[in-house]
Amino acid sequence: MTDPVISTSHLKKSFGSKTVLQDVDMNVPAGAVVGLVGTNGSGKSTLIKCLLGLLKKTSGSISLFGEDPWNLSASAKSRLGYVPQIVKLYPWMKVKHIVAYTSAYYDAWDPAWAETLLDRWELPRDHRIATMSPGQLQKLALVLALSYRPELLVLDEPVASLDPVARREFLSSLLELCQHEQHTVLFSTHITSDLERVASHLAILKEGRIVLFDELDAVKDRVKRLRITAANDLPANFAVRGALRSEFSHNRAMVAVGDLDDRLVGELEEKWHADVAVEDLNLEEIFLELHHE
Amino acid sequence: MQPTSLEFAVQPTSGVPIYRQLIDQVRALVASGRLKPGDRLPSVRQMAADLQVNMMTVSKAYAKLESDGVLERERGLGMRVPVGALDAGAATTMVPVVERQQELRPFAEELATRAWQLKLTDDQALAVVRSVLKGRKS
Repeated sequence: MTDPVISTSHLKKSFGSKTVLQDVDMNVPAGAVVGLVGTNGSGKSTLIKCLLGLLKKTSGSISLFGEDPWNLSASAKSRLGYVPQIVKLYPWMKVKHIVAYTSAYYDAWDPAWAETLLDRWELPRDHRIATMSPGQLQKLALVLALSYRPELLVLDEPVASLDPVARREFLSSLLELCQHEQHTVLFSTHITSDLERVASHLAILKEGRIVLFDELDAVKDRVKRLRITAANDLPANFAVRGALRSEFSHNRAMVAVGDLDDRLVGELEEKWHADVAVEDLNLEEIFLELHHE
Repeated sequence: MQPTSLEFAVQPTSGVPIYRQLIDQVRALVASGRLKPGDRLPSVRQMAADLQVNMMTVSKAYAKLESDGVLERERGLGMRVPVGALDAGAATTMVPVVERQQELRPFAEELATRAWQLKLTDDQALAVVRSVLKGRKS
């Protein structure tokens, strides 16, 4: 087992008296494609910036390629790609200039792939950055970050300003990157359907805490919704162990559980003389169940 | 049949993990005899690229199918239906029609519900099914 690419322990970040991240524990294994999801204001961007050393943590520990991100070595930086949520590039440069300029910083720059990506995303070499739309800027920033095939690629809402066609192109490119050995990707998003195709792992950030971090397949295997039809009306104190949410009236109940085990269904059937149907949930439904108040 | 990725269809937004969907589909192809002993499956890379899913997802499905004996790994060539396996296409070993129909049932139930919601008659709903089936053959 190789060391995790990113690892945090009791990570905390506050801005003045406002705590944004509390007690974040997370280990991202090499080769994982992690989708980081959370509601607006849950701390996704803050977490990403702390992991990359763009913000100083308040307490706890963070390790990136085994180093402290606040004092990252030049070699570690050259293995890292990052596209922020809001892209800022030199407005006076043309596309071809920024590509040439950025390529000079990276030994691993692959000019052929950079050209392929520019073509694929229809970015004319002679366009000036100042005149480009947010979507085009985001595409350009992605080209710049993908072209040196970084070992770790961190993307903050990479598809937020992209149209569906560009989003699909982006996902293909991401999948292509991941085909090459051990590339690790961490991306935040609120578009769960994109994540379902590419992610191997899911991290859910809620109110500054990682409430779930696991393989995506394992999450889908574990989080389920049960529809219970009992022989008699259910009592007012009806409850199911490990329930994320439960609703019931008369003899029927709908219960979302975070960790379905083999025994639970049998227990319920026996206790309430009930018929229990298990429903699979997709990511969006899982996300909503975990955020039910 | 040498299957291509076109023989497979995954729903990423389904609650069933993608690797499980692939496993179910390979099992169905083998059980029905559509895939015969010696038939080779698309490479992990090919399948992942065509279906636009993570390679790890495909590897995971293949690994599970291998450990269950549904597929075997040919060194350097990828996955195939074991040559020693009984040919499910031969009438004597084929999984009975009733069992294969059972497998189709959940999809039919979903279809029936939606047809009812749309207030389609049985014939109208079946006409849609027929036309889809016909489209697949041509």
